[in-house]
Amino acid sequence: MPDQTLAQPALYTSEAAPKLNGGRCKSCGYVFFPPQTYGCEFCGATAEQLEQVAIAGLGTLHSFATVHLHQDRSGKGLQAPFTVGLIVLDDGPAVRAILTERTDEGLHIGDRMHSVLAAAGTNDEGKQIVELRFAKTEAAR
Amino acid sequence: MKKTIRDMRPVYVVGIGLHKYQHMSDTTFVTLGLTAVREALRDAGIEYRSVESAYTGTALIGMAVSRPILRHLGASGIPMAQVENASASGSTAFRQACLDVGSGISDVSLAIGVDKPAPLAAAASKANIRDLVGARVVPFTHFALLANEYMNRYGVKPEQVAAVAVKNNRNGERNPYAQRQKAVTLEEVMAGPPISGSLTRLQCCPVGEGAAAVIVASEDGIAKLGIDRSRAVKVIASVTRTERVYRGAKNFDAELTRETVAQAYEEAAIGPKDLDLIELHDAFTIEELLYVEAMGLCGEGEGAAMIGSGATDIGGKCAISASGGLLAMGHPIGPTGAGQIAEITRQLRGEAGARQHPNARIGLAHMVGIGAVCVVHILQKGA
Repeated sequence: MPDQTLAQPALYTSEAAPKLNGGRCKSCGYVFFPPQTYGCEFCGATAEQLEQVAIAGLGTLHSFATVHLHQDRSGKGLQAPFTVGLIVLDDGPAVRAILTERTDEGLHIGDRMHSVLAAAGTNDEGKQIVELRFAKTEAAR
Repeated sequence: MKKTIRDMRPVYVVGIGLHKYQHMSDTTFVTLGLTAVREALRDAGIEYRSVESAYTGTALIGMAVSRPILRHLGASGIPMAQVENASASGSTAFRQACLDVGSGISDVSLAIGVDKPAPLAAAASKANIRDLVGARVVPFTHFALLANEYMNRYGVKPEQVAAVAVKNNRNGERNPYAQRQKAVTLEEVMAGPPISGSLTRLQCCPVGEGAAAVIVASEDGIAKLGIDRSRAVKVIASVTRTERVYRGAKNFDAELTRETVAQAYEEAAIGPKDLDLIELHDAFTIEELLYVEAMGLCGEGEGAAMIGSGATDIGGKCAISASGGLLAMGHPIGPTGAGQIAEITRQLRGEAGARQHPNARIGLAHMVGIGAVCVVHILQKGA
């Protein structure tokens, strides 16, 4: 999608169902997100033991909260209210992300969730910025 | 062989002082700090020149905070250092003063907490490790997520979480040092502007300015200076730990609290049933429920019912946040942990006036801070 630009290309891919760019320790197997190369938080292995790993944007909603008070100084970012979810990914890590729904209506702990790219404003060149958010996965009929 | 504070020579709290916690004002940090330290010296009945070391817990003021305050008490040349440990800065300064006296390096040491609000970023934000939410998740949303999980898991209603603010503001109304000195009804708490999730404004602590000072002494120091032994309170545990890796979505603050408090119980050779008083990190209402469970006062999921039963009121089984806690007394960062020690000492001496918890013998002070860090002290009357 040439007319779109990722808000944080280091953190996720540009597919319609974006994967998260995580890390894995070859020494102890610990899988983590966000990625870093300073050293393994679990076992202390150094950067050469840390490999990039694509984490599927699939998981379960652990908790959620709709934020009513938020100051975005730029005025171009997300304005309250918006809803934050804590999602335990099927691949292990738990991540906090903005949800596509702006209220908590219809959300339930235990809901299946999937990653999407959602519009998050425009940059200085007028290009659409998209970022990874999570949406509720409706049960197959 | 490793030692705990119980293996060192005994350490006693002999002086406490505070500057009221309040909204940011033109008052300088020097005036805040001096007010608290002078009150602590008067309380101990000693002169500043008897103090042999000083540790200042502070996170937001800037470099080298101690001497610009303490020089105005007569520059005596004593060792001084600042202690920064996020919200637990004052608790950690107190621990350093205890270790100084316990080890025998000093007979009398001073712990101060002082801060004024300032837009200082945590170091972790400069580590160049970004996440998906950035500044859109601040502490109140972190705790709103925990509240949502807790209420769902245990079938607890938002009003039961909000009840913590009613209790703590009722206590704060009787504390002249508190930033919020007004009792509130459950309706008022629930009606307040929503902040995040089920948390309303009165379920979030005020962050202002203030100061707290605590003087600790050895038995030699008490004897040498003729300090009133009957008002001295003994430090029977001093433990600090930091976060490990907890798999999945486990609440790290509760897990860290569980580990740190367990170690403190072992050090003091007591259990949760022995506690008469607790000052804990109730920056948000939900935290009090999570921590009373992590401290073993009740089972998992029973915290809301325990608070609701009155067991944690002043006069109940174990008074929690008798000072008003962070929710009512306030959370000026550096002072908060030292202020907890001042409150527990006042209560154990039986000098807490209108908010006195009867027959208080043993009290626990608990702070967590960004990092995450946790600091726990247990104090005992007389001993």
